[in-house]
Amino acid sequence: MKKRGDDTLETPITSMIDIVFLLIIFFVVTASVDKDVVDESIILAQAKNAPAVEQSDPRTVTVNLRKDGEINIALQPLSLSQLKQLLISMRAQAGNSVPVLIRCDGDTQFRHIDRVMQVAASTGLYRVRLAAEATGM
Amino acid sequence: MKRKSADQLAVPMSSMIDIVFLLLIYFIVTAREEISEAHLAVNLPSPGAAKTDEVKPKMLEMQVHANKLYLQGAEKPVEEIASTLKYLGSLDPDQTVIIQVSMSARATDLVTALDLCRAAGLEKLNVMTLK
Repeated sequence: MKKRGDDTLETPITSMIDIVFLLIIFFVVTASVDKDVVDESIILAQAKNAPAVEQSDPRTVTVNLRKDGEINIALQPLSLSQLKQLLISMRAQAGNSVPVLIRCDGDTQFRHIDRVMQVAASTGLYRVRLAAEATGM
Repeated sequence: MKRKSADQLAVPMSSMIDIVFLLLIYFIVTAREEISEAHLAVNLPSPGAAKTDEVKPKMLEMQVHANKLYLQGAEKPVEEIASTLKYLGSLDPDQTVIIQVSMSARATDLVTALDLCRAAGLEKLNVMTLK
């Protein structure tokens, strides 16, 4: 708005760029919030045949399980009893059809996965899923 | 808007294109990560239920150990299990598969077993702990 003198067409471009940058920043911020659910240090096991998920249930509780058995949800570390409390409150809120997605590292021993599965089963959440990297299709 | 004076309009286009390319690259990068995840559904035994020893004839039994897969009690290579499961799955896709997993098995082994069952069209997958 400052220079309106001779070249009238160059003025809206700066405000356009402002808006575009604002949009970029908005998308970056929202995307990083989205990514926090996913623990980047986890390398999933590969599944050749299972189809990639296009849309998952928005209620899904994503439990990250690291190689050493450390549990976290949205990068916040939890103990087994804390996980149980959380799942119980989820069940109270949204019913027992809330899916629990276990994102475990390919090298995680089953003893760790089993503990998370037992907790899910004991709270009555029966829709348990294991995340894998879809490499086939 | 398009043709008022050509030299004045030519300048801002390059920066616009820069920004558009930036957005394009950003969306390509973020889109790739989301697609590549598969979710394998498993059934869990209810925690209170006693371990059932008798195995019904209609059920398929798989055992998962570290780097080893057993089908109906015999260790077999993955390719053989895949073809056997495909055949059995085509006979009766509704049959239940009981997957017994050893504590020392890794997630990769379990995912391989679940994935093979999925490929064979078997959907009822029960995961149990092998004691």
